[in-house]
Amino acid sequence: MSKIDPKILRHKVENINTLPTVPGTLKRLTTIIEKPRITLVEISSFISNDPALTTKVLKMVNSAIYGFPGRIASVSHATMLLGLNVIKGLLLGVSVFDLMQKTMNGLYEHSLACAIASRVIAQKKGLKEPEEVSVAGLLHDIGKVILTLEFQAEYETAMSEAKNKGISIYDAEKEIFNATHANVGGWLAEKWRFPRNLVEVIEYHHRPALSKNASLETAIVHMSDLLVRARGFGFAGENLVPEVNPATFELLALTEADIRDVLNEMESSMEAVGDT
Amino acid sequence: MPKISVDKLEPGMKLAKPVLAKSGMIMLGEGTELSAAWIERIQDMEITSVFIEGPTIQAVPKEEALAALQERFAKVEDKPYMNLIKKVVEKHIEGLYE
Repeated sequence: MSKIDPKILRHKVENINTLPTVPGTLKRLTTIIEKPRITLVEISSFISNDPALTTKVLKMVNSAIYGFPGRIASVSHATMLLGLNVIKGLLLGVSVFDLMQKTMNGLYEHSLACAIASRVIAQKKGLKEPEEVSVAGLLHDIGKVILTLEFQAEYETAMSEAKNKGISIYDAEKEIFNATHANVGGWLAEKWRFPRNLVEVIEYHHRPALSKNASLETAIVHMSDLLVRARGFGFAGENLVPEVNPATFELLALTEADIRDVLNEMESSMEAVGDT
Repeated sequence: MPKISVDKLEPGMKLAKPVLAKSGMIMLGEGTELSAAWIERIQDMEITSVFIEGPTIQAVPKEEALAALQERFAKVEDKPYMNLIKKVVEKHIEGLYE
Protein backbone atom coordinates (compact mmCIF):
# COMPACT_ATOMS: atom_id res chain seq x y z
CA MET A 1 0.00 0.00 0.00
CA SER A 2 1.30 3.45 -0.86
CA LYS A 3 2.03 5.41 2.23
CA ILE A 4 1.12 9.01 2.79
CA ASP A 5 4.15 11.29 2.95
CA PRO A 6 4.38 12.44 6.59
CA LYS A 7 5.47 15.90 5.47
CA ILE A 8 2.31 16.33 3.46
CA LEU A 9 0.31 14.88 6.32
CA ARG A 10 1.82 17.36 8.75
CA HIS A 11 1.25 20.25 6.39
CA LYS A 12 -2.41 19.29 6.00
CA VAL A 13 -2.90 18.88 9.72
CA GLU A 14 -1.28 22.20 10.52
CA ASN A 15 -3.51 23.93 8.03
CA ILE A 16 -6.56 22.40 9.56
CA ASN A 17 -8.48 25.65 9.15
CA THR A 18 -8.44 25.30 5.38
CA LEU A 19 -9.77 21.76 5.47
CA PRO A 20 -13.25 21.70 4.00
CA THR A 21 -14.32 18.97 6.41
CA VAL A 22 -13.67 21.05 9.51
CA PRO A 23 -16.83 22.79 10.70
CA GLY A 24 -17.00 26.56 11.10
CA THR A 25 -17.40 26.51 14.88
CA LEU A 26 -14.14 24.64 15.29
CA LYS A 27 -12.37 27.03 12.92
CA ARG A 28 -13.52 30.04 14.90
CA LEU A 29 -12.45 28.37 18.09
CA THR A 30 -8.99 27.45 16.88
CA THR A 31 -8.45 31.02 15.66
CA ILE A 32 -9.14 32.18 19.21
CA ILE A 33 -6.95 29.67 20.98
CA GLU A 34 -4.03 30.18 18.64
CA LYS A 35 -3.72 33.82 19.69
CA PRO A 36 -0.45 34.20 21.56
CA ARG A 37 -1.73 36.44 24.32
CA ILE A 38 -5.31 35.54 24.83
CA THR A 39 -6.70 36.53 28.23
CA LEU A 40 -9.21 34.76 30.40
CA VAL A 41 -11.63 37.65 29.85
CA GLU A 42 -11.43 37.32 26.06
CA ILE A 43 -11.95 33.60 26.11
CA SER A 44 -14.75 33.92 28.60
CA SER A 45 -16.61 36.43 26.43
CA PHE A 46 -16.03 34.28 23.36
CA ILE A 47 -17.79 31.41 25.13
CA SER A 48 -20.54 33.58 26.57
CA ASN A 49 -21.42 34.94 23.13
CA ASP A 50 -22.27 31.45 21.97
CA PRO A 51 -25.21 30.00 23.88
CA ALA A 52 -24.69 26.47 22.59
CA LEU A 53 -21.04 26.53 23.58
CA THR A 54 -21.90 28.04 26.97
CA THR A 55 -24.30 25.21 27.71
CA LYS A 56 -21.75 22.60 26.68
CA VAL A 57 -18.97 24.13 28.76
CA LEU A 58 -21.15 24.47 31.86
CA LYS A 59 -22.43 20.95 31.44
CA MET A 60 -18.89 19.64 31.20
CA VAL A 61 -17.45 21.57 34.15
CA ASN A 62 -20.43 20.60 36.28
CA SER A 63 -20.16 16.95 35.35
CA ALA A 64 -18.42 14.36 37.44
CA ILE A 65 -15.34 14.64 35.24
CA TYR A 66 -14.08 17.76 36.90
CA GLY A 67 -15.11 17.13 40.44
CA PHE A 68 -17.21 20.28 40.82
CA PRO A 69 -20.62 18.72 40.17
CA GLY A 70 -23.44 21.24 40.05
CA ARG A 71 -21.48 24.11 41.52
CA ILE A 72 -20.47 26.29 38.60
CA ALA A 73 -23.16 28.60 37.29
CA SER A 74 -21.35 30.98 34.97
CA VAL A 75 -18.67 30.89 32.34
CA SER A 76 -16.62 33.52 34.13
CA HIS A 77 -16.73 31.44 37.30
CA ALA A 78 -15.63 28.39 35.33
CA THR A 79 -12.72 30.19 33.67
CA MET A 80 -11.52 31.61 36.98
CA LEU A 81 -11.70 28.26 38.68
CA LEU A 82 -10.10 26.18 35.96
CA GLY A 83 -7.61 28.56 34.39
CA LEU A 84 -6.69 29.28 30.80
CA ASN A 85 -5.08 25.99 29.84
CA VAL A 86 -7.87 23.84 31.15
CA ILE A 87 -10.52 26.04 29.56
CA LYS A 88 -8.74 25.99 26.20
CA GLY A 89 -8.57 22.22 26.34
CA LEU A 90 -12.13 21.93 27.46
CA LEU A 91 -13.36 24.15 24.63
CA LEU A 92 -11.60 22.00 22.10
CA GLY A 93 -12.89 18.95 23.86
CA VAL A 94 -16.54 19.94 23.68
CA SER A 95 -16.25 21.12 20.07
CA VAL A 96 -14.19 18.28 18.71
CA PHE A 97 -16.07 15.54 20.43
CA ASP A 98 -19.27 16.30 18.57
CA LEU A 99 -17.25 15.34 15.53
CA MET A 100 -16.01 12.25 17.30
CA GLN A 101 -19.50 10.89 17.57
CA LYS A 102 -19.77 11.10 13.81
CA THR A 103 -16.34 9.92 12.75
CA MET A 104 -15.60 7.18 15.27
CA ASN A 105 -18.47 5.89 17.31
CA GLY A 106 -17.29 5.36 20.90
CA LEU A 107 -14.25 7.64 20.84
CA TYR A 108 -16.12 10.23 22.87
CA GLU A 109 -16.91 7.72 25.57
CA HIS A 110 -13.31 6.46 25.51
CA SER A 111 -12.01 10.01 25.92
CA LEU A 112 -14.41 10.93 28.72
CA ALA A 113 -13.55 7.82 30.67
CA CYS A 114 -9.87 8.54 30.15
CA ALA A 115 -10.35 12.10 31.46
CA ILE A 116 -11.99 10.72 34.59
CA ALA A 117 -9.32 8.09 35.20
CA SER A 118 -6.59 10.67 34.63
CA ARG A 119 -8.07 13.02 37.20
CA VAL A 120 -8.41 10.26 39.79
CA ILE A 121 -4.84 9.03 39.34
CA ALA A 122 -3.52 12.61 39.34
CA GLN A 123 -5.27 13.22 42.66
CA LYS A 124 -3.89 10.00 44.09
CA LYS A 125 -0.39 11.03 43.02
CA GLY A 126 -0.86 14.43 44.62
CA LEU A 127 -0.49 16.50 41.45
CA LYS A 128 -1.28 20.16 41.96
CA GLU A 129 -3.48 20.55 38.90
CA PRO A 130 -5.49 17.35 38.44
CA GLU A 131 -7.82 19.20 36.03
CA GLU A 132 -4.96 19.77 33.64
CA VAL A 133 -4.18 16.08 33.57
CA SER A 134 -7.86 15.40 33.10
CA VAL A 135 -7.93 17.67 30.03
CA ALA A 136 -4.87 15.86 28.71
CA GLY A 137 -6.79 12.61 29.10
CA LEU A 138 -9.78 14.12 27.33
CA LEU A 139 -7.67 15.25 24.37
CA HIS A 140 -5.10 12.45 24.13
CA ASP A 141 -6.72 10.94 21.01
CA ILE A 142 -7.50 14.23 19.26
CA GLY A 143 -5.22 13.13 16.43
CA LYS A 144 -7.70 10.37 15.62
CA VAL A 145 -10.47 12.91 15.11
CA ILE A 146 -8.43 14.87 12.59
CA LEU A 147 -7.24 11.74 10.79
CA THR A 148 -10.75 10.36 10.49
CA LEU A 149 -12.02 13.74 9.29
CA GLU A 150 -9.43 14.35 6.64
CA PHE A 151 -8.50 10.81 5.61
CA GLN A 152 -11.72 8.96 6.10
CA ALA A 153 -11.10 6.20 3.56
CA GLU A 154 -7.49 5.62 4.67
CA TYR A 155 -8.50 5.56 8.31
CA GLU A 156 -11.20 3.01 7.63
CA THR A 157 -8.55 0.88 5.95
CA ALA A 158 -6.37 1.26 9.06
CA MET A 159 -9.23 0.15 11.28
CA SER A 160 -10.00 -2.90 9.19
CA GLU A 161 -6.28 -3.75 8.98
CA ALA A 162 -6.13 -3.59 12.76
CA LYS A 163 -9.13 -5.85 13.03
CA ASN A 164 -8.01 -8.38 10.43
CA LYS A 165 -4.42 -8.63 11.56
CA GLY A 166 -5.20 -8.35 15.24
CA ILE A 167 -2.81 -5.41 15.63
CA SER A 168 -3.30 -2.14 17.44
CA ILE A 169 -4.75 0.86 15.63
CA TYR A 170 -1.51 2.66 16.52
CA ASP A 171 0.52 0.12 14.48
CA ALA A 172 -2.04 0.09 11.69
CA GLU A 173 -1.80 3.90 11.44
CA LYS A 174 1.97 3.65 11.13
CA GLU A 175 1.57 1.33 8.15
CA ILE A 176 -0.79 3.61 6.32
CA PHE A 177 0.17 7.14 7.37
CA ASN A 178 3.82 6.66 8.30
CA ALA A 179 2.81 8.55 11.41
CA THR A 180 0.28 8.02 14.20
CA HIS A 181 -2.58 9.86 15.85
CA ALA A 182 -0.11 10.67 18.62
CA ASN A 183 2.13 12.58 16.16
CA VAL A 184 -0.86 14.33 14.63
CA GLY A 185 -2.22 15.28 18.05
CA GLY A 186 1.19 16.59 19.09
CA TRP A 187 1.49 18.79 15.99
CA LEU A 188 -1.93 20.22 16.62
CA ALA A 189 -1.33 20.82 20.30
CA GLU A 190 1.84 22.71 19.41
CA LYS A 191 0.09 24.75 16.79
CA TRP A 192 -2.67 25.57 19.27
CA ARG A 193 -0.07 26.79 21.74
CA PHE A 194 -0.88 24.28 24.39
CA PRO A 195 1.56 24.17 27.27
CA ARG A 196 4.57 21.91 26.76
CA ASN A 197 3.36 19.28 29.22
CA LEU A 198 0.05 18.85 27.41
CA VAL A 199 1.83 18.57 24.04
CA GLU A 200 4.03 15.84 25.48
CA VAL A 201 1.17 13.89 26.99
CA ILE A 202 -0.64 13.83 23.66
CA GLU A 203 2.47 13.03 21.66
CA TYR A 204 3.89 10.36 23.97
CA HIS A 205 0.89 8.66 25.55
CA HIS A 206 1.88 5.48 23.71
CA ARG A 207 5.59 5.86 24.46
CA PRO A 208 5.64 7.48 27.90
CA ALA A 209 9.37 6.96 28.39
CA LEU A 210 10.06 9.68 25.80
CA SER A 211 8.41 12.48 27.74
CA LYS A 212 11.01 14.76 29.32
CA ASN A 213 8.97 17.56 30.83
CA ALA A 214 5.80 15.74 31.78
CA SER A 215 6.77 12.19 32.57
CA LEU A 216 4.29 11.81 35.41
CA GLU A 217 1.36 13.32 33.48
CA THR A 218 2.19 11.22 30.43
CA ALA A 219 2.45 8.12 32.60
CA ILE A 220 -0.98 8.88 34.08
CA VAL A 221 -2.66 9.20 30.69
CA HIS A 222 -0.85 6.10 29.37
CA MET A 223 -2.21 4.14 32.32
CA SER A 224 -5.69 5.69 32.09
CA ASP A 225 -5.98 4.88 28.40
CA LEU A 226 -5.05 1.29 29.21
CA LEU A 227 -7.51 0.98 32.09
CA VAL A 228 -10.36 2.43 30.03
CA ARG A 229 -9.68 -0.12 27.32
CA ALA A 230 -9.32 -2.88 29.90
CA ARG A 231 -12.73 -2.01 31.32
CA GLY A 232 -14.15 -1.81 27.82
CA PHE A 233 -15.55 1.71 27.82
CA GLY A 234 -16.09 3.20 24.37
CA PHE A 235 -14.10 2.44 21.26
CA ALA A 236 -10.76 3.86 20.15
CA GLY A 237 -10.09 2.08 16.86
CA GLU A 238 -9.88 -1.56 17.94
CA ASN A 239 -10.72 -3.63 21.02
CA LEU A 240 -7.30 -4.48 22.39
CA VAL A 241 -5.65 -3.61 25.67
CA PRO A 242 -2.14 -2.31 24.94
CA GLU A 243 0.70 -3.56 27.12
CA VAL A 244 1.74 -1.25 29.89
CA ASN A 245 5.18 0.29 29.76
CA PRO A 246 6.80 -1.48 32.77
CA ALA A 247 8.87 1.54 33.80
CA THR A 248 5.73 3.67 33.69
CA PHE A 249 3.84 1.20 35.82
CA GLU A 250 6.66 1.28 38.34
CA LEU A 251 6.83 5.07 38.26
CA LEU A 252 3.15 5.36 39.08
CA ALA A 253 3.37 2.61 41.69
CA LEU A 254 -0.38 2.12 41.86
CA THR A 255 -1.54 -0.53 44.28
CA GLU A 256 -4.33 -2.95 43.41
CA ALA A 257 -6.58 -0.91 45.68
CA ASP A 258 -5.66 2.25 43.74
CA ILE A 259 -6.62 0.59 40.46
CA ARG A 260 -9.88 -0.58 41.99
CA ASP A 261 -10.63 3.00 43.09
CA VAL A 262 -9.95 4.32 39.60
CA LEU A 263 -12.28 1.72 38.07
CA ASN A 264 -15.02 2.44 40.58
CA GLU A 265 -14.82 6.18 40.10
CA MET A 266 -14.85 5.70 36.35
CA GLU A 267 -17.91 3.50 36.64
CA SER A 268 -20.02 5.94 38.60
CA SER A 269 -18.85 9.02 36.70
CA MET A 270 -19.51 7.40 33.34
CA GLU A 271 -22.99 6.49 34.47
CA ALA A 272 -23.59 10.08 35.46
CA VAL A 273 -22.37 11.55 32.17
CA GLY A 274 -24.07 8.84 30.15
CA ASP A 275 -26.32 11.28 28.35
CA THR A 276 -23.89 14.09 27.57
CA MET B 1 -27.86 3.02 40.22
CA PRO B 2 -30.31 2.64 37.33
CA LYS B 3 -31.27 5.49 35.03
CA ILE B 4 -35.02 5.80 34.78
CA SER B 5 -37.03 7.60 32.16
CA VAL B 6 -38.92 10.53 33.74
CA ASP B 7 -42.33 9.13 32.80
CA LYS B 8 -41.60 5.95 34.78
CA LEU B 9 -40.82 7.70 38.08
CA GLU B 10 -42.88 6.78 41.12
CA PRO B 11 -43.28 8.55 44.46
CA GLY B 12 -40.90 7.16 47.09
CA MET B 13 -37.97 6.62 44.71
CA LYS B 14 -34.73 8.27 45.81
CA LEU B 15 -32.43 10.27 43.55
CA ALA B 16 -28.97 8.69 43.26
CA LYS B 17 -27.63 11.77 41.45
CA PRO B 18 -28.78 15.37 41.64
CA VAL B 19 -31.20 16.60 39.00
CA LEU B 20 -29.50 19.43 37.13
CA ALA B 21 -30.98 22.31 35.18
CA LYS B 22 -29.70 22.94 31.66
CA SER B 23 -27.10 25.33 33.03
CA GLY B 24 -25.73 22.61 35.28
CA MET B 25 -27.18 24.02 38.51
CA ILE B 26 -28.59 21.58 41.03
CA MET B 27 -32.40 21.60 41.13
CA LEU B 28 -32.91 18.57 43.38
CA GLY B 29 -30.12 17.11 45.46
CA GLU B 30 -28.80 13.58 45.66
CA GLY B 31 -30.81 11.44 48.06
CA THR B 32 -34.05 13.40 47.61
CA GLU B 33 -37.09 11.18 48.03
CA LEU B 34 -39.42 11.95 45.16
CA SER B 35 -42.96 13.09 45.89
CA ALA B 36 -45.69 13.22 43.25
CA ALA B 37 -45.17 17.00 43.05
CA TRP B 38 -41.43 16.68 42.48
CA ILE B 39 -42.01 14.09 39.77
CA GLU B 40 -44.36 16.46 38.00
CA ARG B 41 -41.74 19.24 38.12
CA ILE B 42 -39.07 16.91 36.79
CA GLN B 43 -41.35 15.90 33.95
CA ASP B 44 -41.83 19.58 33.10
CA MET B 45 -38.08 20.09 32.80
CA GLU B 46 -36.20 19.35 29.61
CA ILE B 47 -34.72 16.11 30.85
CA THR B 48 -35.45 12.59 29.75
CA SER B 49 -34.15 10.47 32.61
CA VAL B 50 -32.78 10.60 36.16
CA PHE B 51 -30.66 8.31 38.34
CA ILE B 52 -32.45 6.36 41.03
CA GLU B 53 -30.89 4.52 43.94
CA GLY B 54 -30.58 0.76 43.55
CA PRO B 55 -28.41 -1.68 41.58
CA THR B 56 -27.67 -0.86 37.94
CA ILE B 57 -28.81 -3.26 35.29
CA GLN B 58 -25.81 -3.99 33.06
CA ALA B 59 -26.33 -3.81 29.32
CA VAL B 60 -24.53 -7.07 28.53
CA PRO B 61 -24.77 -10.38 30.42
CA LYS B 62 -21.89 -11.22 32.77
CA GLU B 63 -20.53 -14.13 30.71
CA GLU B 64 -20.39 -11.96 27.61
CA ALA B 65 -18.62 -9.15 29.44
CA LEU B 66 -16.01 -11.53 30.86
CA ALA B 67 -15.45 -13.23 27.50
CA ALA B 68 -14.87 -9.82 25.90
CA LEU B 69 -12.36 -9.05 28.65
CA GLN B 70 -10.43 -12.27 27.88
CA GLU B 71 -10.31 -11.32 24.23
CA ARG B 72 -9.08 -7.78 24.93
CA PHE B 73 -6.23 -9.11 27.03
CA ALA B 74 -5.38 -12.19 24.94
CA LYS B 75 -2.28 -10.70 23.30
CA VAL B 76 -0.72 -9.04 26.31
CA GLU B 77 -1.53 -11.33 29.20
CA ASP B 78 2.03 -12.60 29.63
CA LYS B 79 3.57 -9.12 29.46
CA PRO B 80 4.88 -7.56 32.69
CA TYR B 81 2.17 -6.43 35.12
CA MET B 82 -0.62 -7.16 32.66
CA ASN B 83 -1.89 -10.18 34.52
CA LEU B 84 -2.14 -8.16 37.71
CA ILE B 85 -4.13 -5.44 35.93
CA LYS B 86 -6.35 -7.98 34.25
CA LYS B 87 -7.22 -9.65 37.54
CA VAL B 88 -8.24 -6.37 39.14
CA VAL B 89 -10.40 -5.45 36.15
CA GLU B 90 -11.93 -8.93 36.08
CA LYS B 91 -12.94 -8.65 39.74
CA HIS B 92 -14.29 -5.19 39.07
CA ILE B 93 -16.48 -6.40 36.20
CA GLU B 94 -17.72 -9.36 38.26
CA GLY B 95 -18.60 -6.89 41.01
CA LEU B 96 -20.88 -4.99 38.65
CA TYR B 97 -23.23 -7.98 38.59
CA GLU B 98 -23.52 -8.54 42.33
